[in-house]
Amino acid sequence: MFSVIIYELKHFNHNESGNLCHQNLVPQLRLTLRGEINPITLFFHWFDHFLRVADGVGGWRDYGVDPSQFSGTLMRTCERLVKEGRFVPSNPIGILTTSYCELLQNKVPLLGSSTACIVVLDRTSHRLHTANLGDSGFLVVRGGEVVHRSDEQQHYFNTPFQLSIAPPEAEGVVLSDSPDAADSTSFDVQLGDIILTATDGLFDNMPDYMILQELKKLKNSNYESIQQTARSIAEQAHELAYDPNYMSPFAQFACDNGLNVRGGKPDDITVLLSIVAEYTD
Amino acid sequence: MSPVFPMLTVLTMFYYICLRRRARTATRGEMMNSHRTIESNSRTSPLHAEVVQYAREVVDFSSHYGSENSMSYTMWNLAGVPNVFPSSGDFTQTAVFRTYGTWWDQCPSASLPFKRTPPNFQSQDYVELTFEQQVYPTAVHVLETYHPGAVIRILACSANPYSPIPPAEVRWEILWSERPTKVNASQARQFKPCIKQINFPTNLIRLEVNSSLLDYYTELDAVVLHGTKDKPVLSLKTSLIDMNDLEDDDYEEKDGCGMDSLNKKFSSTALREGPNNGYFDKLPYELIQLILNHLTLPDLCRLAQTCKLLNQHCCDPLQYIHLNLQPYWAKLNDTSLEFLQARCTLVQWLNLSWTGNRGFISVAGFSRFLKVCGSELVRLELSCSHFLNETCLEIISEMCPNLQDLNLSSCDKLPPQAFNHIAKLCGLRRLVLYRTKIEQTALLSILNFCSELQHLSLGSCIMIEDYDVIASMIGAKCKKLRTLDLWRCKNITENGIAELASGCPLLEELDLGWCPTLQSSTGCFARLARQLPNLQKLFLTANRSVCDTDIEELACNCTRLRQLDILGTRMVSPASLRKLLESCKDLCLLDVSFCSQIDNRAVLELNVSFPNVFIKKSFTQ
Repeated sequence: MFSVIIYELKHFNHNESGNLCHQNLVPQLRLTLRGEINPITLFFHWFDHFLRVADGVGGWRDYGVDPSQFSGTLMRTCERLVKEGRFVPSNPIGILTTSYCELLQNKVPLLGSSTACIVVLDRTSHRLHTANLGDSGFLVVRGGEVVHRSDEQQHYFNTPFQLSIAPPEAEGVVLSDSPDAADSTSFDVQLGDIILTATDGLFDNMPDYMILQELKKLKNSNYESIQQTARSIAEQAHELAYDPNYMSPFAQFACDNGLNVRGGKPDDITVLLSIVAEYTD
Repeated sequence: MSPVFPMLTVLTMFYYICLRRRARTATRGEMMNSHRTIESNSRTSPLHAEVVQYAREVVDFSSHYGSENSMSYTMWNLAGVPNVFPSSGDFTQTAVFRTYGTWWDQCPSASLPFKRTPPNFQSQDYVELTFEQQVYPTAVHVLETYHPGAVIRILACSANPYSPIPPAEVRWEILWSERPTKVNASQARQFKPCIKQINFPTNLIRLEVNSSLLDYYTELDAVVLHGTKDKPVLSLKTSLIDMNDLEDDDYEEKDGCGMDSLNKKFSSTALREGPNNGYFDKLPYELIQLILNHLTLPDLCRLAQTCKLLNQHCCDPLQYIHLNLQPYWAKLNDTSLEFLQARCTLVQWLNLSWTGNRGFISVAGFSRFLKVCGSELVRLELSCSHFLNETCLEIISEMCPNLQDLNLSSCDKLPPQAFNHIAKLCGLRRLVLYRTKIEQTALLSILNFCSELQHLSLGSCIMIEDYDVIASMIGAKCKKLRTLDLWRCKNITENGIAELASGCPLLEELDLGWCPTLQSSTGCFARLARQLPNLQKLFLTANRSVCDTDIEELACNCTRLRQLDILGTRMVSPASLRKLLESCKDLCLLDVSFCSQIDNRAVLELNVSFPNVFIKKSFTQ
């Protein structure tokens, strides 16, 4: 029986002046490790392990909308769906679709847009099922090499696929992709596989080989070392983001598209690091 | 040994035994006294471990605010651990019923109450929950997170829904019951009523609610059942014995029996009359009938057993013109219907809502009853009557040619083909299909043939494919329509609205809540306002495109407006609301919850200028 030990990391925000401010993600993710509780008392449900990141599209700030509200609510809704068992592990797109529909059922008029990346580990079949919409993504690293990764979905440069709810007056103008447009993959995982899920803030600033270098330093699968590694990856990406001379993957991509830029890309960086380990009670 | 000794020994032993017995009696007597003073809270001995459970599943309910297949504001949120408690506010993760207050009783679609409804039956909605294990309940706690105070009755059932063997006998017992009372705060609370002890284990609990005193929708988060697996040791009834309580018990016990034993007695024995009955029989027949009109149904059945004269009166079909059996749903079964049959040949209004579930009423029993009693039937309430099937609807369509009012609200187990029979009831004036699985063709057929329709509810009818087609048919055929409920009709567009507005000018009430495909920019709301001057109630709940222009059109054209719900739009300003309130003098309900331009201060200001209007502004935190 496998289990996934999930650690969530500091989510670096950058405000207008570019200063670093920490903001811890709500620790619910760690509670996703569930097991059977003594049946004499309260009853909980099994559910498979579940990772998710969503990146709020920043342009909404100009319209007076807090971009983190939409993505935050989307992910909390996904989590609720999973907690209540209203999902099929092999259909992560279904989780995304149902969650998006639930957002529309909220009395509060939510506005905003978000990318989404969902990774589900099915314990019984040892398979990982993923759904990715937009430019967040995941990497699966085995034996120091990347064995699986998500594809970025972009309409055009710096405009990723995104779920959105637009104000009525901007209905046709705002980009809104259907959850069905998400990329979905399924593959087997093994003991020791490292799954890294992150927003584009990481991938735009740190190429794969740097990430792999950091992951090599991971010695064992206990909480402290994984937290340390994830932290160092995020911090490093953050430093590179503000380096004006560094040829980041983002700058490279821009040059390939005819834009002459250098340097990192300041952005919110969220990194989730997990290891497939032996199941213990 | 002399023979005296054995005698002495026997005597002594005898005396000893007598003394011991007396002593035991005295002790028991003392024990009884001390138990009477024990309060109902402390009843289990420390040897019995208490089991605490959250609900496993919601198995039945009469209504909810949310969409089918959703987890926002739906009854299924009541199962499991709480999501919101102890926070207060209007949250998606709670269980919310469809209505609150008295607003639905005040609008044009409200129906008149049945006569002879017992005053202690005030339940408007219910929800049934199961738990994993059967226990002897010691407490039931309800976690309410918004506008608490709706729960008025808690019942326990002896049947185990998870047992593969069908139960021999299904009993419902009231654990707690109270009149609706006003709770002053709208904050979250853990409701812990004192429940009665019962002598059977249960894992099926039913809550009945009455929201008429609430200022807004009540929201429930979870239900906790405390109980013991073994029967409590104290077999004496240790709860404070309330005389009224016993009375109610008697009602419940004898209800079904009353009618049973009546028939038996009547057929077998000759009832004797006493010589002196106080000249009661000198009263005119009609006067006695009038007096008996004030009795509840069980009392009427009991009175019938007293003497021949009263038996004649109590069995007179004129006493059964209105027959409300909903308050007795826990006991009503085929046998009860059979015994009532003979007296119900003239029944015009029949309420079987909530009855017959879990095998209490069979299709055959219902059919038999309707064959005898259906000919004069004008109004038939069958809300949440899950025993109904296609045959039942066929019988209704054949046996009730005069039917004008049919309520099948929340009969979600009725198969779609059952609704085909309703089209035969051409005299229908009121039809409620809330939360049923009716399909498009059956509905179109009904609309085609039932041209007398004045009140139609299609709320949450999720199997209808294209509401524009439905609206078109309504506009073409139902010219007399006065009220229309299209709550959560997911795909109606401006085309449907146009057909409705031009085809049904008599419309007084229109519920378009949570219809996301309506866009104000198409001018559909403005058109509604201009073509429906008689509108008294308009719900545009959660339509994010409602804007100032629409409000102004309503202000100009719909001056009779009494209830308006524009929850959740960002595009309406306090200024246009002021115009509306100035123009519509009869407006009494205005829901501006989650309207971002209308903050609390704006509401306060409007309240000062228009003190007779209830302006509702819900909140999440």
